Amino acid sequence: MPDRPLNRICYVEDDEDIQRIVRLSLERVGKMTVAVVSDPTQAIATIAEFRPDLVMLDWMMPVLDGPALFRQMKLRPDTSALPVVFITAKAAQRDLDELKALGAAGTISKPFSPKDLPDQLRAIWASLP
Amino acid sequence: MRAGLPPARVNHTSTANGTDTGLEVSTQAVEAEIRDRADPQQVLADRVAQLYRQMPIAIGATFIAGGIATFELQGRWLKELVYIWWGIVVTFSAAASLLLYAYYRSADKVDGAPQWLRWVGIAALGNGASWGLAGGVFFRSLSDEQQVFLAFLFAGMASVGIPVYAASWPIFALYAAGILGPFFYVLLTFGNRLFVEIALLVPLFYVINVVIAYRLTQVFHSGYRLRHAYGKLTQDHRLLNRRLEKQLVELEEARRQVEASGRKLALFAERAPIAVLELQPDGTVAEVNSAAEILFGYAASELVGGPLKKLVVPDFHAEFDRTWRQLVTMRESVAGLKIRNPRRDGAELICEWTVTPLVNFQREVIAVIAQGRDVTAQLEAERMKKEFTSTLSHELRTPLTSIIGSLQLINSGVMGDVEKEIAELTTVAERNGQRLLDLINDILDIEKIESGKLTLTPEVTPVDELVRESMVLNKGFGERFKVRFQSLGDIADRKVNVDRKRLLQVMTNLLSNAAKFSPEGGVVEISTEDAGPSVRVGIHDRGSGIPEAFRTRIFGRFAQADSTATRQKGGTGLGLAICKRLIELMHGRIGFEDRPGGGTTFWFELPRHTT
Repeated sequence: MPDRPLNRICYVEDDEDIQRIVRLSLERVGKMTVAVVSDPTQAIATIAEFRPDLVMLDWMMPVLDGPALFRQMKLRPDTSALPVVFITAKAAQRDLDELKALGAAGTISKPFSPKDLPDQLRAIWASLP
Repeated sequence: MRAGLPPARVNHTSTANGTDTGLEVSTQAVEAEIRDRADPQQVLADRVAQLYRQMPIAIGATFIAGGIATFELQGRWLKELVYIWWGIVVTFSAAASLLLYAYYRSADKVDGAPQWLRWVGIAALGNGASWGLAGGVFFRSLSDEQQVFLAFLFAGMASVGIPVYAASWPIFALYAAGILGPFFYVLLTFGNRLFVEIALLVPLFYVINVVIAYRLTQVFHSGYRLRHAYGKLTQDHRLLNRRLEKQLVELEEARRQVEASGRKLALFAERAPIAVLELQPDGTVAEVNSAAEILFGYAASELVGGPLKKLVVPDFHAEFDRTWRQLVTMRESVAGLKIRNPRRDGAELICEWTVTPLVNFQREVIAVIAQGRDVTAQLEAERMKKEFTSTLSHELRTPLTSIIGSLQLINSGVMGDVEKEIAELTTVAERNGQRLLDLINDILDIEKIESGKLTLTPEVTPVDELVRESMVLNKGFGERFKVRFQSLGDIADRKVNVDRKRLLQVMTNLLSNAAKFSPEGGVVEISTEDAGPSVRVGIHDRGSGIPEAFRTRIFGRFAQADSTATRQKGGTGLGLAICKRLIELMHGRIGFEDRPGGGTTFWFELPRHTT
C-alpha cells in the first residue's frame, strides 16, 4: 500500500457526460484532484504534465483505445510505473482477464455508482504494493 | 436344408493327398472316390439280383441238356439209374425255380442279399453236383462216342456257368468243381493214358475258368459300385439343385428388397433439401442430388467425375486434403465440418457437412457420402446477434451510466440540497433507470448462459460466508421494503466449490424476491443444512405464496405471477430463470415449496466440497 492517500487522478474518456459525472464524483464525493482528457492521443502529454497518482482509462475510444494507450504508457519511463484502472462497459470475464494480463491495477465496470466510485478507487489504491 | 447331403468327400481326399485343389487329383483317384460312395449292401444286392436273373438260363440249360443226356444214355443197362438221375435233375431244377420264385416275391432283396446269395450257392452246387454225379456214375460204362458226348456236355455246362455265375466267382468255382471234380477223378482212374492226360488238363481248364469268372466278378462288382455311386451323385446333385434353386429365389427376393431400399434411399437423397454428394474414396464426385446443384449452381454433369475440391475454396485445399486422408483412414463419420464452398457464380458459401465413409465387409472404403447444409445465413444471423448483444451491452449501458450516475449524484446530496418534490422525482428516475439496467444485465446474462458463453470461475468457499455476504449486500434492498434478513439457527461450516460472484447473484435474486413479496415489517429467514452429499440453502418468506397457475413456469423466461405485482415491486421476470441456469451450471438444483404456516421457501442445493 502506497504511503500517501490517493489524491490526483487523470481520467481519459471521450464521452463528455461520463467525464462530468466522474469528475463530480471524484471531486465532490472523493475530494480528489482530477484531470480529464477527452482526446486519447493527447493523454500522454497531459499525464506527464499533471503527474497523477493513478490513471483511469476508458476502454473504447476512437483512434486510440484504452489498451493501446496503456501499452504506449508502458513504453515511456515517466508513465510506465503509474497504476492504471480501466473503466469499461465490457462485462465479459475474458476481457477483464485480458486487462489484468496487461498489468492493469484494477477494473471498474460501467455503469458504476458515482457514490461508490471514490471508495472503489481507494480500495484498488490500497491493494497496490 | 443341410440334412441329407453328405460332406464333399473329394475335398477330404485331396487334403489327405497333400494337395489343395481338386484339379490335381488323378482321374483314377476320382473314380475310386466315386465308387467309395456306393453302399456295399446295395452293390451285393445288385450282384445277387444278377445271379437270380441268370438263373432261368441255368435251369433251362440244365433241363434241356439233362433231357438230351437222358435220352442219349437210356438205351443201356443203366436205364433205371439214368431215370433216377433225370429225376434228380428235374427235382433240382424245380427247387431252383421255386427259389427263383421266392426271390422275386421277396421284399427284402437288399437286406437279405447275403442269405439269397447262400441259396444261389447251394443251388449252383446242387446243379454242378448233379452233373458230377452223371460223370462219376455213368462215364466208365459208356461207349466211346457216348463218352465224347458226355465230356462235351460237361465242358459246355462248365463254360455256360461262367456267364451265369459271373456275378460271384466262388459260386462258379463251387458249381464247376461239382461238375468237373468227379469227372476228373473218373478220367484219372480210368487206366487209359490218353484219359489221364485229359484228366490232367481238367484242373488247368478249371483254374482258367475260375480266374475268368473271378475277373468277371470284379468287373461286375466295380460296375455295380459305379452305378450306385453315380446314382447317389445324381441324387446329391438333385438336392443341390433344389437348394440352389431355393437360394436363387431368396437371392432374387433379397435383390428386389435391396433395389427397393436403394430406390428409397435414392429418393431420400434426391428430394432432400440438403446437398447430398456421393464421392469415390479418391475424392472424385460420383453423384450429386438436385439440392446440391441448386446450392452450388453447377449442373450434376459439371461435377460428376471431377474432384470434390472444385467445391472447396483454394486456401482450404491443404487442410481439406489432410481431413480427407484422415477420414478415409479412420473410416468414421465426421459431423459439423464447416467448409467454405465457392459457388459457380463466384459467391462463397459456408456449409456444414456430415461426411460418412461407406465400408464393405473387408473394411475398405467404397464410397463417401457427404451431406451439406448451407449455414451462411445462420452464421450471419449468429454474428448479428452477437453484434446486437455487444451493442446492447455497450451502447445502452453507456448512456445509462450517465443517467443513473447523474441522478445518484443529485440524490446522494453531494450537489447540495434539492427541493423535496424534485428529489422525489429524481429518486423515481434513478430507480427506474436502475430497473432498465437490471433488465439489460439480465438479458445479457441469460443470452450468455444459453449460448454457452458464460464461464464460471469456481473457488472453494464456506457457505456461511456467502450467505452472510449476500445478507449484507441486500440489507439496503430489504430496508426499502421494511424487511429484515435473519439467518435461521446455526450455519453449518460447509464448503462449496462455486463461482462466488454468480452465487451471490443467485442469492441476491432470491433475497430481493423474498423481500419484495414479504409483508411490511416481515422477516426473511435464511437456513443452511446438509442434504445428503449436498448443502441446502433455504430462503423462507411469509409472503402470499406462489399462485397455482404460475408454479410450472416460475423458472421460465419473463415469468411473472401477475403484472400488477410486478409493476408494484419491479423486476424483469428473468431473475429466477437465471438463478436456475446458474445453479445448474454449478451442478446443483433449485426449487421451491410452500412454507408451513404461510409463505414460500425457495431453496437450492450445491454439492458439498470435500477435500
